[in-house]
Amino acid sequence: MLQMSKIETCDLRFYYDDLEALHAISMRIEERRITALIGPSGCGKSTFLRCFNRMNDTIPGTRVEGGVLLDDRDIYAPDVDVVELRRRVGMVFQRPNPFPQSIYDNVAFGPRVLHLARGGALDDLVEQSLRAAALWDEVTDKLHSSALDLSAGEQQRLCIARVLAVKPEVILMDEPCSALDPAATLRIENLMRELREHYTIVIVTHNMQQAARVSDYTGFFWLGELVEYDETGKIFTRPAQQLTEDYITGRMG
Amino acid sequence: MSKARALFDRELTDLRDNILSLGGMVETAIERAVRALREQDEDLARQVMAGDEEINTRRYDIEEQCVRLIATQQPAAGDLRAIVAAIHIVTELERMGDYASGIAELAIRLADQPHLKPLIDVPRMAEIDGAMIRASLEAYFRRDPDLALETAKRDVEIDGLYDQVYRELLTYMLSDPRTITRATYLLWVAHKLERIADRVTNICERVIFMCTGKMEELNF
Repeated sequence: MLQMSKIETCDLRFYYDDLEALHAISMRIEERRITALIGPSGCGKSTFLRCFNRMNDTIPGTRVEGGVLLDDRDIYAPDVDVVELRRRVGMVFQRPNPFPQSIYDNVAFGPRVLHLARGGALDDLVEQSLRAAALWDEVTDKLHSSALDLSAGEQQRLCIARVLAVKPEVILMDEPCSALDPAATLRIENLMRELREHYTIVIVTHNMQQAARVSDYTGFFWLGELVEYDETGKIFTRPAQQLTEDYITGRMG
Repeated sequence: MSKARALFDRELTDLRDNILSLGGMVETAIERAVRALREQDEDLARQVMAGDEEINTRRYDIEEQCVRLIATQQPAAGDLRAIVAAIHIVTELERMGDYASGIAELAIRLADQPHLKPLIDVPRMAEIDGAMIRASLEAYFRRDPDLALETAKRDVEIDGLYDQVYRELLTYMLSDPRTITRATYLLWVAHKLERIADRVTNICERVIFMCTGKMEELNF
């Protein structure tokens, strides 16, 4: 892997009370590439993903050991502004979760809170974000109607636009297509390939074909360990570990 | 083994059985074609030629089965390599069937003329070809890259026999031009048998790819 790393974890351990859910994970996430994390339910891949923007901080009884470096700086250092961290490292969730507001206000929410833009500049930013999320053409005539009237696929792209509006560097996606039909899934996947030009993307997915289709690198998690991490083409055609082979060919999990 | 794979595993086993059965047909066709040549048996030769159709049909059936498995099961890793290898293997087998049919055709042309000499090396080549086909498919069946490598090495024996036949037939042609037609036909037979061994080598390469994920050209 010759790319620049955007995120690097060093012996990252994560605990739910006394239970160690992640066992000393060291992994480099390459910049402007799509990295997929796969593995059976409960293997730690979502927990790992949520360490990248300290989303786990809000869960009582949890703690982290080891480091997560974003551009070589430890995001768990005491002086880190978590709000700023989450601006830089945005997140898209399993179920689309638009605010019960207009399409425009959903996208404008972040920039308003962070004072990134107002007036005409805000309009431009909203348009830009919706275009980048491949949603503009569908909503240009109804920016002020409720986001909840959109289809599930459109809502998910709106959530991506909402993330893009605060100018992130990394986009974390936790099963972003599991609530979508195949056509809406394909649109999100195409969008991911476009966003890859400008953003580092990490996606957790149960859908192995999706990981194979969309990602550059794939990491396979098993019982809190990172079993294998390599170029996606290699993982899906000639994995080095028997455990990886057994998982991706459906022999277990 | 996971229950989810039960159907897929059954289909993979079925695919493997079909390939072994096609291999058996091809091996028999070669053996019979050379026997027709040696025994100057035109009927047998015609049977071999007619049987080639069935080999072609089976090859397309297996290829279709592979395509269907790829579309419906989205195979990965070892499964994917096994299916891709299968597509190549049946193509090689089908071409060997064509060679057998070609030999049968030459057997018909040679049936009404006395043999130039007792046929020894040509049947020997056919015998080694048959053994190589069997061994290469056993390597496929057992997923045994070492056996595939050993099998491919036998191509050297075939090449040696081919050189010998070639030199011998050349001598006949030089000393008596009336033998040229017969000698040329026999040379073509030997050439086809030599090509069959090359095709087996290709199968061995595919077996190694299936087992290890590495594409390597075997040249002995």
